[in-house]
Order: sequence, then structure tokens, then C-alpha cells
Amino acid sequence: MALLEVDNLKTHFFTREGVVRAVDGVSFTVEPGKTLGIVGESGCGKSVTALSIMSLLPQPPAKIVDGSVTFEGFDLAKLSERHLEDVRGKEIAMIFQDPMTSLNPTLKIGTQIMETMERHLGLDRKQAKKRAIELLEEVHIPNAANRLSDYPHRFSGGMRQRVMIAIAISCNPKLLIADEPTTALDVTVQAGILDLLDELQEEHEMAMILITHDMGVVAEAADDIVVMYAGQIVEQAPSLELFDHPEHPYTEALLGALPQIEGEGIRAGRLTAIPGRPPDLADPPTACRFAPRCPFSDREDSCAKEMPQLRELRTGHWVRSAHPASERAKTPLGAST
Amino acid sequence: MVVSPQQQRMRSPDPAHSGDIQVAGAGTPIAQSSLWRDARRRYMRNKGAVVAGTIFIALVAFCIFVPIVSPYDPDQVNFADAYLPPSLAHPFGTDQFGRDLLTRVALGGRISIAIGFAATLAILVIGLTYGSISGFVGGWVDNAMMRFLDALYGLPYLPFAIITLAIVGTVNFWTMVIALSIASWFTSARIVRGQIITLKENDYVRAATAVGARWYRVLARHLVPNTLGVLIIAIFLELPGVILGEAFLSFIGLGINPPSASWGSMAQEGREVYRTHTNVILIPSIAIATLVLCANFIADGLRDALDPRTKET
Repeated sequence: MALLEVDNLKTHFFTREGVVRAVDGVSFTVEPGKTLGIVGESGCGKSVTALSIMSLLPQPPAKIVDGSVTFEGFDLAKLSERHLEDVRGKEIAMIFQDPMTSLNPTLKIGTQIMETMERHLGLDRKQAKKRAIELLEEVHIPNAANRLSDYPHRFSGGMRQRVMIAIAISCNPKLLIADEPTTALDVTVQAGILDLLDELQEEHEMAMILITHDMGVVAEAADDIVVMYAGQIVEQAPSLELFDHPEHPYTEALLGALPQIEGEGIRAGRLTAIPGRPPDLADPPTACRFAPRCPFSDREDSCAKEMPQLRELRTGHWVRSAHPASERAKTPLGAST
Repeated sequence: MVVSPQQQRMRSPDPAHSGDIQVAGAGTPIAQSSLWRDARRRYMRNKGAVVAGTIFIALVAFCIFVPIVSPYDPDQVNFADAYLPPSLAHPFGTDQFGRDLLTRVALGGRISIAIGFAATLAILVIGLTYGSISGFVGGWVDNAMMRFLDALYGLPYLPFAIITLAIVGTVNFWTMVIALSIASWFTSARIVRGQIITLKENDYVRAATAVGARWYRVLARHLVPNTLGVLIIAIFLELPGVILGEAFLSFIGLGINPPSASWGSMAQEGREVYRTHTNVILIPSIAIATLVLCANFIADGLRDALDPRTKET
């Protein structure tokens, strides 16, 4: 059985300008111990999906209008706030994008790590402190015992993210949601954090949802990848399959925008940008949401009139497009392939 | 170039800082939060605030210790000594009952300052409770609580205090505190609400929720402590108003009952004879003015010191 099953999740924001359909019918599953990568550009609903799973969105304005989030057989979307509090941090933990602001500046690091364990595991001060030192060592913070009594401002961004990870794994969660864990960090630190997450995942047998806009990051870490665009899943496939045979024009374009080291079979020349902007989610087109930016779509196409459905092109490879790469006859100008 | 506090301390042979130098040992983690250390350093740089703070402490010490060491009984009536001019035996002179003014002004100061702090504290506790609930719960609760506050804002502070005292009937320390705080906590409630709303959006609040912290823990651990800086400033901003309010109430005869006295009621006693014996009104008035001025300067210094955005240039 899947650890987490998100089925037709719809999270809408009810604002004065109208209903913003930030997440519009997203379904995926996460298997125990596996990593699911969610990629997409800013504002495509990645983070809202993650926050919906944890029920962390402020309600109002946000509301889960449809769908279910089943974690080990319980629908989290229907759980009371009291029960959710017991799930958060213990069963599902989350790390956030900006480690500089995710720690309370007025509390010592140790206090912030111990807090969670005292809350969920019922440890007393002494046990919690011992465990906190172990955790800091586990996330490779040198001189762990002494650093417990330091305040967050004495830590660098990468170290703070390590502390956040230590807090997240402190109660051995079954699922870790990492919402752009490396976006605020520079590239060398980024690699270190990704290695750490990989290592901890294996050790703790956690499943992970890795949210990022960086194709390079998911390529390295994810088993399966979900590509989101304008609140919907446009392509979903195992990691290798997706990189080897991208089907959706959007995925192709994302890969085309990725710098690569020159080599055999690799595109030379300039990086390609995707023309246009994502649609306004307060009033999304009823047709394919990528159609206005799609190099393969024209006005006579069915996809300019109605929404293509997700279909399984190959086993495990789902695409929402009328023009997947394997069904295309001609290659128009400007495409990356 | 950014100069670290340690370097700066090494350079300036300021005796006030010499006690801290041992923390600069290489490799050993600095034991205490440098938030407060920085704040103190910034405060010390503000000369006006330092002077005001010193005078303030001296004034409080004066009020505490003078009655203890004074040879005079502050309530002993002795008409033979009435209205003595300042002399070696009575540095501030005596009042109409022949009581030593130095002793009485210190005793009055105890009451004035104690009422001032107690009322300020009451204001802050009420404001903190009301404001944090309003800001934390948000939504229509916040709206209702704030509109109620808007309505209360129309209440004038001093007339309301007078009415409260009239309703309660007896005037003692605690009724005075109630009267002074009942119509003056609105601003602090608003300040706290604003702070809580800003802080609530912080990532670490969301992070705390994400690891399963319950709401009261989020409020007590992550929100209220972060309003501390603002609250400390608010204490010293509120204090002058409260002390002046108390002095005013005493001056118009609604103050502490004789033979105890506050600075306000002493000034009121001196008002009748201000032409012939100016010192009787002058001394408590100067005391009030000094205290209020100091509190304002201290508030100013604290605001600069505790606001993390005021960085050295």
C-alpha cells in the first residue's frame, strides 16, 4: 500500500479578485522509502500542494474544495486540527525554503530541537538533550554538544538548514516533505544538503517529497517525478524515463532551459527560454493551460478548445498533452530537440 | 568595514566595558546571547539615555533609602517646626505640620513610582492579553475585538479615571492602579496585536506548526517573547503618562489619603502657600518632572537599542 495517496486534490484560494485555483486536481502516490520529486516554475502550485498535505494553509482564504490526502489509511484533509498536530512532526515532517527565517531567533538551537521531541516522544529534558546532540552529529554539525546553547544567528544558512533537517527527522517521520530545501543556498552547500537528505533517507527509511524548480536537483535525488504547470500535473514518470524520453512540450522546454556540459548527444548553443507567461489561475483557460505557450499547438487543434486528460503513454509514464513527443510528426522551429 | 564588538572593546579603554573582555577567548563559544549585549552597547552609546538612566536609578534609590536612614518620623506633627526654610537639619525644609520634606518627598516618591510601575504593568498585561488574542485568532474575532477597542478609544483617560475612583469610593494604592490603567491599555493592546500579526507570518511560526506545536505553545514560545523588546519600550513610554496621571489625580484631591502622600498630593499641599514657602510645591514638582523626563529619555534610548534595524553606521 502506498504511504501517501493524494487523489484529485483541489486547493483554491478565495480572494477578493475571485477564486484562485492554485491546485486543480492533482493526484499522485508516494511509496514507503521512495522519493517523489515535484518540479515546476514559481506559482505552479508545488508548495500549495505540500502545504495542503500538511493542512498548513491559512483557512480562509485557502480551502481544500475537493479530493483526499490519504496517509496510512487516514484522510488528512478531514482530520481535526488536534489530530493533525499529532501527525505533524511525528509522522510527516517538513523543511522549508528559507533556513534564515525558519528558526526562531530568540530561542537556542537546542531548545528548538528538543521542543519537538518533548512534544511527540514524551522525552524528558535529559533524554531530549542527549538525542539532540546525536541529531546534530547526524546532520554533520561539528562540536554538536556545545552548539546546542547557541542562538540561530551564529549559524550559517547551510548549517541552519541542517538544524531544520535535524528537527524534521527528530521523531523519525515516515514522510519528509522538503519544500525547495536548497533554493536559498549556494551551489556547493546545496550539494551537501542533498547528500545529507539522501543519507538520512536511507538510514531512517523515510519517504520523501522533494519540491524544487531545479531539474538538476530532482534528477539526482528523485525516484519518480511529477511535473506541474498552472496547478495541474502535466507529466509524471519515473526519473530516468522522464529525462530520457520527455513527452510533454513543457517538460522538454524545462530541460531545454537547463545548462549542460558539452558532450555527446547534448544540445549545443544557447539555452532556450519558454516564451510567454503562465495563465492567471483566477481565470484559467478551459483548454490546455500550456497551449498559448506550446510550440506544437495551433488554433485548429483540439487542445486549444478542450482540456487534454492525463493519459498513460507507456507504463508509468503519464502525460497531459495532445502533442507528446512520441506522437509528433514534425519538429517545429524553436523546439529544443 | 564592519567592526566586531570585541575589536571595538579592545580599542576603547572604556571602564564600563572592561568586565566583558574575558568572553573574547578564542574558540570558546560566547556564553550569552549577543542580542542583549548589542542592545546594551547601543544603549550605552546614547549619552542622554545613560544620564537619564543614572538619574532614574539614583531617584529610585533615594526614595528607597532616605526614609530608612532619616532621623525624622515622616508623620510626626510638630507645629513648632512648621514651614522651616531649608537648612542643614532639614535640607528641603519642612511643611505646614513641621514634617521633614526630604523624608516625605522620598516616601511620596515610593508611592508615586510604585503606582506608576504597577499601573504600567497592569496596562501591559491587559494589553498583551487582549492584543495577542486578537492578533493570534484573527478573522472576525480580531475584527470584533478591534472595533470594540475603537469604541473604547473615545473614552478620555483622566475623566474616566476620576469616574472610576468616584464609583469605587475608597482611594488606596490598588484602586489608584485600577483607575489609572482602566482607560489607558488601548494603545498597548494595539501595539501587541500589530506585532503578533507581523510575527505570525514568520517562517519559524509556520515551521513550529509544521512539527506539531500546539497553538498555545506557538503563542507563548514563538510570538510573545518576540514582542518583548517592544513591550520594554512601551513600559517606559507609558510610565510618564501614568505618573503624571497619578500626580494630577492627587493634585485635584483624588489621591492617596493623608497622612500618606504622593508627589501629586504634596504639590497640592504646597499650592496654598506657593508665594511664601515656594519650596513646598517646588520640590515634589521637580521630582515629578525629573522622573517623567528620565523615563522619556530611557524609552528613547531603549527604542534605539532594542530595535534590530538600528544598525551602527
